Amino acid sequence: MMELRLSNLRDGESGIITSIGVSRGRGRGEGRRARRGWGFRKRLEDMGLTPGTKITVVKSAPFNGPLEVYIRGSRLAIGRGMAERIFVEVKR
Amino acid sequence: MTKNKFTIALAGNANVGKSVIFNQLTGLHQHIGNWPGKTVEKAEGTLHFKGYTIDVIDLPGIYSLSTFSIEELISREYIAVERPDLVINIVDASVLERNLFFTLQLLELGTPMIMALNQMDMAKKKGIKIDHEKMEKLLGIPVIPTVAVSGTGIYELLEKAIEIIEKRVNIKPLKAKYGKEIEQRIEKISKMVEKTQFKYPARWVAIKLLEEDKEVEKEILKINPEIVSTAEKLAREIEEIHGHSCSTVITSERYEVASKIAREVQEITPPIKPPMRERIHALTTHKIFGYPIMAVSVLLIFYSIFTFGDYTSGLLGDFFFGLKPIFEGAFGTGVVGKLVWGGVIEGIIGGVTVALPYILPFYFILYFLEDSGYLSRIAFLMDNIMHKIGLHGKAFIPVMLGFGCNVPGCLGCRIMETEKERLLAAFVVTLVPCAATTVIILGLVGAFVSIQWALALYIIDLLIIFLLGRLAFKALPGEPTALIMEMHDYRVPHLKTVLKQTWFRLMEFVKMAFPLIIVGSLVIKLVEVINLLEPIANVLSPVTVTWLGLPTITGITLIFGVLRKELTLIMLATLLGTTNFAQGMTPVQMIVFTLVAMLYIPCIATIATLVKEFGWKKALFITIFEIVFAIILGGIAFRLLMLVY
Repeated sequence: MMELRLSNLRDGESGIITSIGVSRGRGRGEGRRARRGWGFRKRLEDMGLTPGTKITVVKSAPFNGPLEVYIRGSRLAIGRGMAERIFVEVKR
Repeated sequence: MTKNKFTIALAGNANVGKSVIFNQLTGLHQHIGNWPGKTVEKAEGTLHFKGYTIDVIDLPGIYSLSTFSIEELISREYIAVERPDLVINIVDASVLERNLFFTLQLLELGTPMIMALNQMDMAKKKGIKIDHEKMEKLLGIPVIPTVAVSGTGIYELLEKAIEIIEKRVNIKPLKAKYGKEIEQRIEKISKMVEKTQFKYPARWVAIKLLEEDKEVEKEILKINPEIVSTAEKLAREIEEIHGHSCSTVITSERYEVASKIAREVQEITPPIKPPMRERIHALTTHKIFGYPIMAVSVLLIFYSIFTFGDYTSGLLGDFFFGLKPIFEGAFGTGVVGKLVWGGVIEGIIGGVTVALPYILPFYFILYFLEDSGYLSRIAFLMDNIMHKIGLHGKAFIPVMLGFGCNVPGCLGCRIMETEKERLLAAFVVTLVPCAATTVIILGLVGAFVSIQWALALYIIDLLIIFLLGRLAFKALPGEPTALIMEMHDYRVPHLKTVLKQTWFRLMEFVKMAFPLIIVGSLVIKLVEVINLLEPIANVLSPVTVTWLGLPTITGITLIFGVLRKELTLIMLATLLGTTNFAQGMTPVQMIVFTLVAMLYIPCIATIATLVKEFGWKKALFITIFEIVFAIILGGIAFRLLMLVY
């Protein structure tokens, strides 16, 4: 088992989500910054990317494009930048 | 006492067939507008059923009731504060788990609710069998299986809705139970909240506070700051127990409940052969083939829209201007006649002949593609390109609309999630060459300089969009945006819904743009009648003649262009007294003129749209910026071109 960023998974590979990294942001003041990280993580979690959930990368679009993933019985497109902040545990 | 007027709100995820159900329910009695002060579309309709008059509100398609997007905020405010008599939760039976996650949140808001278990046909095709009676028991609310596209279950849905509202049937909806350590803390906070008489249910507020919902925190802080600090302390305790933030834990557990219900009610036997829609999906998002397929589709769309638009526009124009002699016979050719014809009627004709023939097919194809699922695939493919200007894949859609007309393009920015994305996308859209701008590029530079130069202008415009988009992205505060979007299964679009959506959006456009076009035409005609045009052109001549190197009359044409861009060309022909523009202008002048006309201002209808969507200040800022920018750019281009020619 090893922990990787979702963006580093190969096409067709599955993993279990462990955590979502919060952005450093370009915030003005602490409060705003905290809120930004909160919104980002909340968004992903609301879409079903909660820790412990199985996620499969179907494929990624070329030129650092978004990833097509399969999670909780549905298909999502996730931007590369977001995928880089999602950590998954993979069997390799 | 029984009343016979009700309000029902439709709530559910995006792409679950909500708009189909809305259209099935309300037919032609619809009104499309904005939520007060918000860039979010509000669709309302009325229906009459068994002597009842029912107002139906179509809430935006969302996945949660947190505050990430304005849609989510509006939806929860509406349900909790306006309190519709009933919420119909529309659920996609083929993606049950994700949909149930939203259902659980709706239930927490505590309004009477029934569920339309929609797209049962799709679920069946995917080999999913759902025991809806069992689901009814588990959720504690009525569940009606529907296939909205064929109308199946709609009647039953309405009957059930009336029954629930009328009889106040005692339904006991499920309360999603969280872990014991969380429930205890919810209880604690609820008790404190109950005393405050806050507009939302106490349990819901407690959960939201533990989820660190900033909007709720802000409002509770005003009432009793002690509650917020207690909630913060309790949330930290939960965080220590689980090793994840409290909001993560709550979301996880809510999904766990949804997942458990889904597992209990559905039986899945996946089809052995990959179905057609899966193969189409693989092909249209393919690393190599996806792009040529998209390019061909987009070109085909543009080609058919412009062919249709051009033909229809000509036909309508001939028809309307054929009426001119009849009109002049009735009103004469005096000042009043001139004002009425030139100001009012030509304004209407312009709107009808120039805008509608392009907007109509554009909207139709847009809704058709959206409903089929292809738009989300285009967004997927275009994501990294749109990222270069700080937007993401979804923004490609309003930008594409902008090529037909900037007005629907700006309205289309509503699909973006945050206010920053909307504004940025709208700004980009106003720079996109619309159908009228294309007429200028092709009719002037394309016809009298060379087609290569016309193409070059197009490319320059795209480069400018790219550069300015990037700059604006850097200048605007806020988090860099990222794409997260469901790609629902391909399906055959429901033609009636697509047609209705097209029609009502078209009406929205007419209501917004036409009054301004007419008033604008009238003002300019008035200026012309009292012989003020030439003095104005002379006042503008330092800019037009000295800086841009254009003939004086172009000042007049650029004023007219504010009404509708293609008027710059029409007025140019009128003032030069010929349509052979080469007689009155040098190639350099034509290129500079077109460049300026292309960028110098959003037309009046677009400005109006910007005002409506973003307010006066931002609209004015964009307008002034573009005027200044186009003038500076035009002058530089003039000097550079003089070196070449």
